[in-house]
Amino acid sequence: MGARHDNSLFKSYLKKEGLLDEVFDNTGEAKAIYQELFRLYGAHSISDYVHLNNKAKNSFFNQGITFQVYGENEAKEKIFPFDLFPRIIDSSEWEIIESGSIQRSKALNLFLWDIYHEKRIIKDNVVPLDLLSSSSNYLHQMMGVDPPNGIYNHISGIDIVKHSDGNYYVLEDNIRCPSGVSYVVCNRTALKRALFGVFNHYQAHTVTDYAENLLDILESVKPKGVDNPTCVVITPGMFNSAYYEHSYLAKAMGVELVEGQDLFVENDFVYMKTINGPERVDVIYRRIDDLFIDPLEFKPDSALGVPGLFAAYRKGNVCLANAPGTGVADDKAIYTYMPQIIKYYLNEEPILNNVQTYHCSRPDELNFVLENIDKLVIKPVDEAGGYGISIGNQLTKSEIKAVQNQIKENPRKYVAQPILSLSVHPTYIDKKESFEQRHIDLRTFTLLGKDKEFVLKGGLTRVALKEGNLVVNSSQGGGSKDTWVLKK
Amino acid sequence: MPLKYSLVYKAENTYQAPITRAFWQFLILPEANETQELIQWHFTNDLDETSGLSINGLGFSVIRVHSRKKISKISFTAKFMLVKKEVNPFNFIIDDTPYEKHEALQSIDFRAEHEVYLRKTVFTSLPKQYIGIYSFDQSISIFENLKFLNSWVFEHLYFQSGVTDVYTDLEQIIENRHGVCQDFTHLFCAICREHGIPVRYVSGYLHQGNGYFGDSQMHAWAEAHVPEIGWVGFDPTNNILASSNHIKVAHGKDYQDCAPIKGVVYGTGTNETNYSVEVYASQQ
Repeated sequence: MGARHDNSLFKSYLKKEGLLDEVFDNTGEAKAIYQELFRLYGAHSISDYVHLNNKAKNSFFNQGITFQVYGENEAKEKIFPFDLFPRIIDSSEWEIIESGSIQRSKALNLFLWDIYHEKRIIKDNVVPLDLLSSSSNYLHQMMGVDPPNGIYNHISGIDIVKHSDGNYYVLEDNIRCPSGVSYVVCNRTALKRALFGVFNHYQAHTVTDYAENLLDILESVKPKGVDNPTCVVITPGMFNSAYYEHSYLAKAMGVELVEGQDLFVENDFVYMKTINGPERVDVIYRRIDDLFIDPLEFKPDSALGVPGLFAAYRKGNVCLANAPGTGVADDKAIYTYMPQIIKYYLNEEPILNNVQTYHCSRPDELNFVLENIDKLVIKPVDEAGGYGISIGNQLTKSEIKAVQNQIKENPRKYVAQPILSLSVHPTYIDKKESFEQRHIDLRTFTLLGKDKEFVLKGGLTRVALKEGNLVVNSSQGGGSKDTWVLKK
Repeated sequence: MPLKYSLVYKAENTYQAPITRAFWQFLILPEANETQELIQWHFTNDLDETSGLSINGLGFSVIRVHSRKKISKISFTAKFMLVKKEVNPFNFIIDDTPYEKHEALQSIDFRAEHEVYLRKTVFTSLPKQYIGIYSFDQSISIFENLKFLNSWVFEHLYFQSGVTDVYTDLEQIIENRHGVCQDFTHLFCAICREHGIPVRYVSGYLHQGNGYFGDSQMHAWAEAHVPEIGWVGFDPTNNILASSNHIKVAHGKDYQDCAPIKGVVYGTGTNETNYSVEVYASQQ
């Protein structure tokens, strides 16, 4: 049993040479952990599947789970395409991912403390000073400031891929305001609605405990002298691309979702306006970028933040999660030093691999990059969401020229990496009414609090929906899959 | 003998269209340090809006005012009494190691420690064509070099108010060769940073009556970090070292970190700020 030609759903599934298929082995057999799922899905015909798929889509629309794509002429409201065929990660592989994610988050936290205090890692010549002085995300205002309980990156989103060599590699660490966790929960809900029965055959960890753990972490970093902290989620507002997530998290944690105008600062304490009068706020999960949190300190023309908030933070009267100034450490140029950073602070070998990265700021590496663009992925160091990425083997000659010129103009802005062969997963393609191989990655969500840490057992598997495409970000037309982490 | 100063800071904001809500932040309180002590201060505004003390992003004391009234004009008055110790600007051991032999400037410890004040900001970056506008003498000490730089900036620019504003960049200043204390200071800072000397922009008050430039407004000068000595104040607008005539409020990377008044105003239309400073001295 198990060969894909016996299975009506996967009959036309084409397996390309050289790609790591997470579901089917080289002989076309479903791998052990997928066999049961393969059988269960095989009981459906394509038309059943189409019907279920539409049902799932509608459930997303009905719940209002949409996001916006920026650029072009106007912002468009879209649903995040969801694939009904889940990804399964067994407990032994998950252990690597989980311990590796915690290790990186802790190392990043220690790194942030250090570079905003003594800068030992710089003085010891492990990380070059230039990376700080040339980073616009390194906040002068955070120097010498002790964030409550010593935590900077309470929430980290770490993007991990499985390479065709079978190993996991980290693509990037997101420690500003990483988003996507609400999709993890929605994907699970949608899959349960469509195909509840399949969950009886697998022991998958729940993902709905994220919010309670997040609240636990936020409460653990309360300012000194506070017993029962009041936490809130602050959003830039309903026009933000991740507004659904902000409202979901606030609701699931049972805390208020606020905008800047709902808060005010008096005598360096933060208060929320309520119908019963002002209520002191102790911990703010902020989904507003650094430069918008306080117009008196940063951008004076921004109406998103709260005047005086930064002073309240500096005085230790409120905790901001994540701390301002974390962006310096998720810069893609700092990424390349992660193995050394982990070793330096934790005296441990990195559990998750880093991808070999070339810095265009270094003359010899710049030359290598310029000459080998067709074999590399070129990334701007300071942009999120997959914007500005060029994949060398998909560029025309004139495009390569253009990229070369861009790099030459501002070498510090770019790094390059070999083109990784991301693993693929059978993904239902609407237009063709069949399953095809698509590249996937995984964003894990790691929480750090006072003496506690948590990794969501699941994470967001993102799918590059265009054939052969390696960029999985939702803003670049990616979709997602429910991700099951199996219990031991 | 200690000097006693009284200072009066006045500002008046007018709004073309009435505003409905506003926050103002004043970075005008003399800081407490080993050479000066604030004895008394008093802050009022003509609309009786509440005000309070807070800090700015770099930890300096600020006064905050919040208004929810519909207003088109508000004026603020601050009065300070301060005691300043007589400062001998030469009160340190002169280190005469020549500039070229100063290894401290190159050491990673030193550069990491002073990274922020070595950063070239928009206001303290020399335009490409002017990188070599001033060169340090390799054979004399850092301190001597800074004194020469102080004189050079003083002679290179002509003090003239009204020709530059807070947005004027170094390129225009160097080309037109005139400006006010803030422009002199930015040029001084840019050249220091170009030579690897950490330097901070200082805002404060200058005691008037000695014929110095910049006395009816807030003043600006620079503090350069000289290895083995520490931060030393240079006033390139007047070609002097900072002394007991200089009353410091705050420092930062450039003017932007030290702007005496910041406002976040909810309303439309343009606004105008007028302010004045008076400094009186009396021997105690």
